[in-house]
Amino acid sequence: MEKPSLLPLLDARLPLSEEKVAEAARLAGVPLAQAWGVVRYYPRYRGLPQGRLLVDDPVARARGFARLLEGADGTHPPLGLEALSPIHVRVEGEERYVEWEGRLIPFKEFRLPFALGQGNRLLPPEPILELDQYEALGGSVFLRRALKNLLAPEAILQAVEEAGLLGRGGAAFPAHIKMRAVARGEPPRYLVVNADESEPGNFKDRFLLEHHPFLVLEGALLAALAVGASQVFLYVRDEFEAAILGLENAIRQLGEAGLLPVPTEVFPSGGLYICGEETALLESIEGKRAEPRLKPPFPVEKGLWGRPTLVQNVETLANLPLILREGPGTWRQTEPKLFSVTGDVARPGLYELPLGTSLEDALQRAQGEPEALKAVLLGGAAGVFTRDFTFPLRYKGRLPLGAGAIVAFGKEVDLWEVLLGLAEFFREESCGECFPCPLGTAVQVEMVRRRERNPDLVHSLGQTLKGSLCGLGQSAYWAYQSLLEVEGAA
Amino acid sequence: MRLKVNGQEVEVQEGTLLLEITDPPHLCYHPHTETRGLCRLCLVEVNGRLLPACATQAQEGMEVRTDTEDLRTLRKTLLEWLALFTDLSLAPGLQGLLEAYGAHPGRWGRVPETRKEREPIRDNPFFLRDYAKCINCRRCVDACGEGIMGVWALTLEGRGLLAHPTTPLDRPLPETPCVFCGNCIQVCPTGALRPLSMEV
Repeated sequence: MEKPSLLPLLDARLPLSEEKVAEAARLAGVPLAQAWGVVRYYPRYRGLPQGRLLVDDPVARARGFARLLEGADGTHPPLGLEALSPIHVRVEGEERYVEWEGRLIPFKEFRLPFALGQGNRLLPPEPILELDQYEALGGSVFLRRALKNLLAPEAILQAVEEAGLLGRGGAAFPAHIKMRAVARGEPPRYLVVNADESEPGNFKDRFLLEHHPFLVLEGALLAALAVGASQVFLYVRDEFEAAILGLENAIRQLGEAGLLPVPTEVFPSGGLYICGEETALLESIEGKRAEPRLKPPFPVEKGLWGRPTLVQNVETLANLPLILREGPGTWRQTEPKLFSVTGDVARPGLYELPLGTSLEDALQRAQGEPEALKAVLLGGAAGVFTRDFTFPLRYKGRLPLGAGAIVAFGKEVDLWEVLLGLAEFFREESCGECFPCPLGTAVQVEMVRRRERNPDLVHSLGQTLKGSLCGLGQSAYWAYQSLLEVEGAA
Repeated sequence: MRLKVNGQEVEVQEGTLLLEITDPPHLCYHPHTETRGLCRLCLVEVNGRLLPACATQAQEGMEVRTDTEDLRTLRKTLLEWLALFTDLSLAPGLQGLLEAYGAHPGRWGRVPETRKEREPIRDNPFFLRDYAKCINCRRCVDACGEGIMGVWALTLEGRGLLAHPTTPLDRPLPETPCVFCGNCIQVCPTGALRPLSMEV
């Protein structure tokens, strides 16, 4: 790091006083104004809501939200617990707990139940939390080869290109284009693993981080070697405390085994949805308010501290060892994708399915029946409601796949209630940097509240949000527009 | 280099901003500050993509459209939302734009949470901070910090709709590094910062 980052310095001084903020600013070498702007931005520095909190996700919204709220002191943003939803968390001071099976489990001990994971390529049948377990199952082979110069950086880039791997964070940008652009840049270069999954309905990265840290780390280190990165940062959602501890343990084990060619550290995220936007994420690591940058320049040219930076999603990187093991051609024939399937299905959970699987098949894997459903929310908050169950789940299709969330809603669910939850989510998560997003998401909440169907207003809303600076605002109206289409078709 | 603006061939020098050769409305851009690309009023269509004219340099072969129906809808709506949430009474330029784009803020109905309810802050003898009129363009923050003065007496508070400038530790201005240079007032486009001498 070029200089001490402000966020860890502030974290170490929680709860904050004015003196502690001033001290952190001094240690980080930034103006007090910058430190204060940060304190007034991230929720954890402003004081977390306390007490018993209902996790506000689309599933809870579909289960009689107002009634559920009666037993709670407030709400908490989605936490990747949708398969268990509705669920409560408890916040006491800086301590956070999940209420699960009649017990209070500290965040640092709570992992998604392993029974929620179904797959075999990215999701082996058991969690792998120790290096010897990982190696016994054939892990680290390619990392070892790369370290012995038996696997050249170009060979890794070539394999990713031949596989045609698309970014699994939601934007589906070809991974090799980003990687080659960074590899061409002047050193020092950086790799940032985007592990800030905060999208309602998604928990696939959470699951990978909690249960397969070595797979994620091997993928990240292979990518780091491929692009010549001199440092790896894992920007992990702050609430995923068990995952953070597991990753730190895994990094230590890799280091002791001589399998850590690049300095690697975990950076707890700022704890907001916008922190997953790749340029906002970089701002956050640099100790600023997590606000998106104007693009161009793109991070591959000017990323962290102005250096060429590869920012990749957790699942994208987890595919690298698999691509090398299976060979890009074989891998490509049935590309594995993780889908978080929740809502009105009998077995909510994480399902690894080949891209191209129909939505109907995906639902049936989770023992959900399309004919019993009113609609599915595909892709999360930045997604769409659909009744097109024959839709093949692949990128660049008619509907956005996003990060792979599938939330099913039964016939009795009031989808406008679900939509109101999404609208409020966007209003709460808008950073306020550009103009259309904070204004438009606030207007949208009121429109949804009164169930506005006037096509002129809805068109103007969408047209204007489309002009937002980043994807948060640009996609904030998709669910709204699609619900009107679903209603029209019903 | 040559490019097309609304179908017309234009020849410009390298490094020219699209804003210099087109004439879209704009709010956050100011020649003396680094703020740009935030208000989105100056968005133009470049080869089918929406880009801010204030932050986009002309390139050979670009096809730029500055006044499509979609762009007019965007600007009109954005102006309506600004008027809905913010007190624009001291921003004559913006009021002119509202008229020019045929804006009707009332068509959006009532909004419970607005910026208009904020009380003006009078904490010094020289100027007023009236954030009911603030659109959060950040020109003042930039002018005080990186852009002009390097004084850092202003920063940003909050997120979303209610984000607006504040002082470090939310202190009264005389207790901050502020030197009352007046640059922030100079760059404010809406009268949210104004000399007290203007008050009656």
